[in-house]
Amino acid sequence: MGMDVFQPLLQGFAAALTPQNLCFGFIGCVLGTLVGVLPGIGPTSAIAMLLPLTLILDPTPAIIMLSGIYYGAMYGGSTTAILVNIPGEISSAPTALDGYAMAKKGRAGPALAISAISSFVAGTLSLVGLTFFAPTLAQLALHFGPPEYFALMLLALSVVINLSGKSLIKGLISAVAGFFVAMVGMDPITGIARFTFGSVELMSGIDFVSVIIGLFAIAEVLSTWEAQVTPVIRTKLTGLMPTREDLRETFPAMLRSTVIGFFLGLLPGCSPGVTAFIAYDTEKRFSRVPETFGQGQIAGVAAAEGANNATTSGGFVPLLSFGIPSGPALAVLLGGFMMYGLQPGPTLFEKNAPFVWALIASMYIGNVMLIILNLPLVGLWARLVKVPYPLLAPIILISSFIGAYSVRNKMMDVWLAIAFGLIGWLMRKLEIPSVPLILTTILAGMLETSIKQTLSMGDMGIYLLFTRPISLTICILALLLTISSLYGRYKKIPLPGDAEEFSSESFEFPDVIEKKRPVLVKPRRYLHVPKTVYLVREHDRSRNVAKCGSLRMRQAGEQVQR
Amino acid sequence: MNKSNGEGYPNKPVQLIIAFTAGGSSDVQARIVEKYWKKYFNDQPLAFEYKPGAGGQVGFTEIARAVPDGYTIGGVNVPHILLQSLSPQATFRKDDFVHIAQVVNDPQLIVVNQNSSIRTLNDFIAEAKKKDGQMTVGIVGTFTAHHMALLKLQDILGVKFNAVPFQGSADQNVALLGGHIDAMIGNLNDIMRYTEQFRMLAIASENRHHWLPDVPTFQELGYSFTSDIRRGFSVPANTDPAIVQRLREGFQQICNDPEYLNEMEKIGQPAAYLSGEDFTKYCDQYYEEAKQLIDKYELNKKN
Repeated sequence: MGMDVFQPLLQGFAAALTPQNLCFGFIGCVLGTLVGVLPGIGPTSAIAMLLPLTLILDPTPAIIMLSGIYYGAMYGGSTTAILVNIPGEISSAPTALDGYAMAKKGRAGPALAISAISSFVAGTLSLVGLTFFAPTLAQLALHFGPPEYFALMLLALSVVINLSGKSLIKGLISAVAGFFVAMVGMDPITGIARFTFGSVELMSGIDFVSVIIGLFAIAEVLSTWEAQVTPVIRTKLTGLMPTREDLRETFPAMLRSTVIGFFLGLLPGCSPGVTAFIAYDTEKRFSRVPETFGQGQIAGVAAAEGANNATTSGGFVPLLSFGIPSGPALAVLLGGFMMYGLQPGPTLFEKNAPFVWALIASMYIGNVMLIILNLPLVGLWARLVKVPYPLLAPIILISSFIGAYSVRNKMMDVWLAIAFGLIGWLMRKLEIPSVPLILTTILAGMLETSIKQTLSMGDMGIYLLFTRPISLTICILALLLTISSLYGRYKKIPLPGDAEEFSSESFEFPDVIEKKRPVLVKPRRYLHVPKTVYLVREHDRSRNVAKCGSLRMRQAGEQVQR
Repeated sequence: MNKSNGEGYPNKPVQLIIAFTAGGSSDVQARIVEKYWKKYFNDQPLAFEYKPGAGGQVGFTEIARAVPDGYTIGGVNVPHILLQSLSPQATFRKDDFVHIAQVVNDPQLIVVNQNSSIRTLNDFIAEAKKKDGQMTVGIVGTFTAHHMALLKLQDILGVKFNAVPFQGSADQNVALLGGHIDAMIGNLNDIMRYTEQFRMLAIASENRHHWLPDVPTFQELGYSFTSDIRRGFSVPANTDPAIVQRLREGFQQICNDPEYLNEMEKIGQPAAYLSGEDFTKYCDQYYEEAKQLIDKYELNKKN
């Protein structure tokens, strides 16, 4: 590897830039964006539906198009997550946390634009990794056996603590419920049915798509309907494009999420959903203002969207190098390879070099197409929030039902989505966060499989984890992260109603600043407080409660002037 | 259903149920069949319907319970349907299907990593004896073809293994590539990608396979052991025998079409046609053997 990559890559670009390949690449990117936007209908079903086209098309344009759908979907997934709190793909669930909060404040435009930009940056940078190091990195990923996967899942689980919101107990309740949901169906290894109550349909388990559609889309509609308010629409749009400061602030997040997304993406089974959550959590840890996460922190949006795009490029490494698909969408794509008799694996780079390099080059081009396609759409999408909710709600519901049905062509999935909608609505009333549930539902399968395999790998039992350097390192890291998160929770500035209690509304500081004098308090938890960030405490005498939070003075100042 | 004596069949599109995801091996194979289907079946299209889940059981159940008018056919995998019908949570019986044809026979092999010190089947047996039940052998799932093969192999070779079950061939291959397991049972179709990284010790088929001419059969090495995964097509029981006959004839023609065989070679699936009758005979025989194994190891009692 190294310099000898350039020539085949240039030839790849030459091939990818032919009108036919360019055209199919574009179709793929457009379709990908579309299926990404629609909740439920994901890249897996889209690629599967278009697979028969491979019977007519030549291999290169066909695979270029199908791949375009895959990474294009990651661009589209954030749109509905930001605008209406409904992630188009599970990998955009963490995007909704801050993206929707931003939209509520009228900053839907910057949120959408940042997710497109972050997707582009991470997508392109990770392609560089794919281009230059694919075979080497694939070797690296092989060091991960069942114990390492199990350790990695433990690490991902530690994220739950940070996603729990106000109450750790409620977060844990949600997390445990997620495991229970994942338990329904067949044991991934023994095939024994669990909690299926004799139903054949339940034997195939509960699909993630039904869960997120229910918890996000349907629950959102129910809560809004119940509250009789139209939360999004009232806000004015304040600028469509991110400010220079937004960009400066999110750039490190983009780089970090690229690294996380790409390297975890090398591991088969680490889906964009998992890496997006991990990147989001990492960003929160790196942040000087972690309490603003979940309240409309633009870095959170950038991290989640960057990671899921980097993961898609990462996933091509084991696919091309070993023919190992990292997730369902890539498994279907692998089927496309097979239909052409293209055997992915080390020999693919030798035998079908022109094809491989045209595909890789097409992904660079595709990322450019996607950003050109998505940035102008920001204005259009952002205006979508002005659609009256009574009109928007039925559209959301119908597309949710179609989405749930389309996954496996079963009505049961629609009923399940409705059931999860009710559960989600109830959870909101009880202030139980739904994000831990979603995270554990994603993690449960691999957690269970990897622990069973670890236990069957010898007579050492679980201690095997601590005898292997990689798994031991990850375990220690997981432990440290858990401790630091717990420490963070309990060592916060001890005021009744901590920062997380700030709803986005109470963040409208102009009011606060004018009516109640803010008091600058000495930062206690964060050692490095940048010049523009202050911790602010306000005291509401009428209710005799104190709240604390942080705000950027410059931004607040701007608003005060208006 | 009254109108038919098989004549004119099919006069409308035929639905094909695939019990696995689109793009999976079953689907890829069926897509090749589809290319030739119209040629032999009155130019009627074949409409694919995917019913994945529960290791194929969801889709197989759907096939077994379909209206037996010949307009729903399904792709079946053996021994999956047989083992699932033997499980305590069976949702169909072996005799709920009438088989049209077998199209693929994908034999199993014992495979180790190229870097392993195990070079032959004898080394493998010696190593297993030395490790005394601790040798890790990767299989796909439990209560599956691989599981049965491993149990049979223990009996035949007189050794004990430590079975490590995986969810699918992909993660099983990764584990062997990374050296996390000592050996594995793999199917020909799945391991052909890794001929440079894996060492195949023996193939569990009657004859050597022309893709791997240097790999000996168990038979040659003195062990009577064959094991494989087969794909076929079936209709629900009670389908009009005339229609079944018509389907069987059509599939026989498809499966002997030289172009079809060429494409099967291209997609890397070992084509092996068997008539519906012969396929049924094979299934019955496997069913009896599996039942004995299950009883012997009390696999059903654990549930």
